[in-house]
Amino acid sequence: MLITELKSRETIAALTEGKKVFIINCVGCKEVHFPEKEATELQKELAAGGNVTGMITTDYICNPENMELRLQKHMDEIKAADVVLVFSCGVGVQTVAGYLEEKKVCAACDTYPLPGFQGVTPLEYKCDQCGECYLNLTGGICPITACSKSLVNGQCGGAKNGKCEVDSNMECGWERIYRRLEKLGRLDVLKCPTQVRNFATDDEVSK
Amino acid sequence: MENYTKYKLKRNDELESLLADKDNLFIIACNKCFKEFETLEEPECSEFEKIAAENGKTVTGSARVDFLCNKTQTEKKLQDMIPEGTEHVFVISCGLGIQTVADLAEKPVYAASNSLNYTGYHGMALTERKCDACAQCFLNITGGVCPIVDCSKSLVNGQCGGAKNGKCEVDSSKDCAWEKIYKRLEKQGRLEEFLNQPVQLRDYSKVNFKFVNDYVKSIRENRLDGYYGGVHPAERKEFTEGMALQRFPDPEEVVIPLSMHAGAPANPVVQVGDTVKVGQKIGEAAAFISSPIHSSVSGTVVAIENRGHATRGECLSVVIRSDGKNTLDDSVQPHKDLDSLTPDEIVEIVKEAGIVGMGGAGFPTSVKLKPAKPVDTILLNGCECEPLLTADHRVLLEFADDVVFGLQAIIKAVGAEKGLIVIEDNKPDAIELMKEKTAGYSNLDVVVAKTKYPQGAEKMLIKRVTGRKVPSGGLPADVGCVVSNISTTKAISDAIQKGMPLVERVVTVTGERLKNPGNFIVKIGTNTKDLVDYCGGVTGDDEVTFKAGGPMMGFVLSDLNVPIMKGSNGIIAVDTDHTAEQPCIKCGRCMDVCPMELSPLYFAKFADEENWQGMKDKNVMDCIECRCCEYICSSKIPLVTKIKAGKNAVRGMK
Repeated sequence: MLITELKSRETIAALTEGKKVFIINCVGCKEVHFPEKEATELQKELAAGGNVTGMITTDYICNPENMELRLQKHMDEIKAADVVLVFSCGVGVQTVAGYLEEKKVCAACDTYPLPGFQGVTPLEYKCDQCGECYLNLTGGICPITACSKSLVNGQCGGAKNGKCEVDSNMECGWERIYRRLEKLGRLDVLKCPTQVRNFATDDEVSK
Repeated sequence: MENYTKYKLKRNDELESLLADKDNLFIIACNKCFKEFETLEEPECSEFEKIAAENGKTVTGSARVDFLCNKTQTEKKLQDMIPEGTEHVFVISCGLGIQTVADLAEKPVYAASNSLNYTGYHGMALTERKCDACAQCFLNITGGVCPIVDCSKSLVNGQCGGAKNGKCEVDSSKDCAWEKIYKRLEKQGRLEEFLNQPVQLRDYSKVNFKFVNDYVKSIRENRLDGYYGGVHPAERKEFTEGMALQRFPDPEEVVIPLSMHAGAPANPVVQVGDTVKVGQKIGEAAAFISSPIHSSVSGTVVAIENRGHATRGECLSVVIRSDGKNTLDDSVQPHKDLDSLTPDEIVEIVKEAGIVGMGGAGFPTSVKLKPAKPVDTILLNGCECEPLLTADHRVLLEFADDVVFGLQAIIKAVGAEKGLIVIEDNKPDAIELMKEKTAGYSNLDVVVAKTKYPQGAEKMLIKRVTGRKVPSGGLPADVGCVVSNISTTKAISDAIQKGMPLVERVVTVTGERLKNPGNFIVKIGTNTKDLVDYCGGVTGDDEVTFKAGGPMMGFVLSDLNVPIMKGSNGIIAVDTDHTAEQPCIKCGRCMDVCPMELSPLYFAKFADEENWQGMKDKNVMDCIECRCCEYICSSKIPLVTKIKAGKNAVRGMK
């Protein structure tokens, strides 16, 4: 799951200025942070300029079969356009661009990562798929994602009042780990040997 | 279809050393997501059990869970899952599932698996397209080929020069992304534009942690607000919400079906050639769960025959040619005032007036007013959570006093303590007016509910307002509640104050394809096509879908030549959806939105396999057919159709 934000007005203006535009809105992942209001406003302005050949609001354009079925009804409008402007995550834009290979297909949004994607529900924690789960040594709090620096052998020492020195909105992951282990009476696991993160593991295990 | 495998058991030697000093293990395994839905349970759990046994460990039990990261559901499932005597919990899942359990379980939790990596986040469909969520989309300058995920080096300013014969030097099985980009742009005649692009700089700064966290929190709160699940479809009520009720011109002929309610169809008590008047009974209730039918016009009965019906295909109907005079039947006389009526008299009036649930289900209201258990609270459902519809909203605004009167009548009939009018926060004018109207009554109150579909479903409404949970297979009365629809309540008021049976109702005629939407007071038996024609018909040339009811739970009308009935709250004209069913990819969204906390993905699988026992075991009978699962389904599986088939089969099993 992803978060999308509208690109700056200047960027979009540069893409659409003096051009005929066909607009595709994707509202598939209903929980994606899609800037609906701003997008509608922007699209109204574009339409007022008389340069919009057509517009559809649909879902899951990343699903090629259904995206194609839906776009087929609008092929004339797409043909008449110079640019197809897609309001979706990066996967959606690529899928449309792949289908309309001869057309200029543009992204109107930037895509940001949303934690909890790997599973299903957006969650307050995240899994970076490091391929060598450290949760056994940390009481179930992930040092890769809960620590800004992804340290696997304890805190960096830079935390102030329990807050991370990189992002003061974030709690120090290692202080959280310490408290969790203390609660479980498992502080002894901190005496485990030094961990070395193997960045090659990903490829090895997935093959 | 790609298979986004999530995890793999840790290596044997690693597991052995992890197990060395631990015993009395409980194992929780997550059934993988984002893969073709073939197996019900993934094999890793038994594999790990085997390893534990080989190491001489006692396993106190194991559980296989769907979507372990669904915290709300996992929390419930965990409650009685882990048996006494368990010392350590081992979780086989991706990192999210393990962290979820670690947060919830009181015991030490260990990971028995490693999450697998694939580069790039993706949308919903299991295709090869990836997106790394770099936060500064480069696709506009690359012709829609992503340089971040498709180029091994994630170069954003052109090729590295290392490609050989079009293949990447890092991974020779991969095409050079920049050659692909060049070819695509050449095809589009955009090479010059591309080569003149300024140098791109990639900004690696992270998204603000607080922004993401606050966002995740807010969407979870939305989803879990008041009751589990539900969805927020585009409301599109602006077409009609500001439009005052208009009386629809009297039809020349009405077709009144003898079945507009749950239960047995009414028996006709008039004959062809009879003269009838407005409010005259033309059909008699045929059983306890049934309802009488009345004429909505004065005129002559010209036929009693099978006619088209919105939900039943065909139904025996009384066809009346109007004389245009609307002469009232002698039986239409105001009843005594509310204070002098006994509860039984109120129920009798409601029964004789042919009042049934006007939200669509059509359950006879008189039966509801005689609950088998004591009821303390009456909930008036003013949510109108269906998108597009505004009928109840207009009734609240224009018949507020009648609604309050009707509510007092229900309270008296049932012997309840209080009545609550529940209105969604997207109708501030109705909230304000009803607050004003109820201010003088100590037993009435207005509850404002945050908009969420299907809030108007009885069970959700009760949960939201009172926190009580109607048991599986139970009725609202089991938790001391009766829920009534707004239009129904207004009809009760008319029956008592005017003596007028249910012969007309408010209908919203709307939809993005309808020319002139509006809210109308329509006589029961009016032809739907006349209503659509009166509203100027449809716009555009594309295929259009008509539905009786709202876009979520409405019935598709293949033929508009059907009458408006007691439960017809809306007629909508919307774009036809051109999609085809795709295989389930276990994205889990149906489970995330099901307000009854069911697992709809299993219903689709079991219905295809005709595994009706499986459907029953997964509590298919609890489904309220709200269509949230179908709405959110990324594979466009017609889940409700499959669920209905399952319910029919399960009913047949008894």
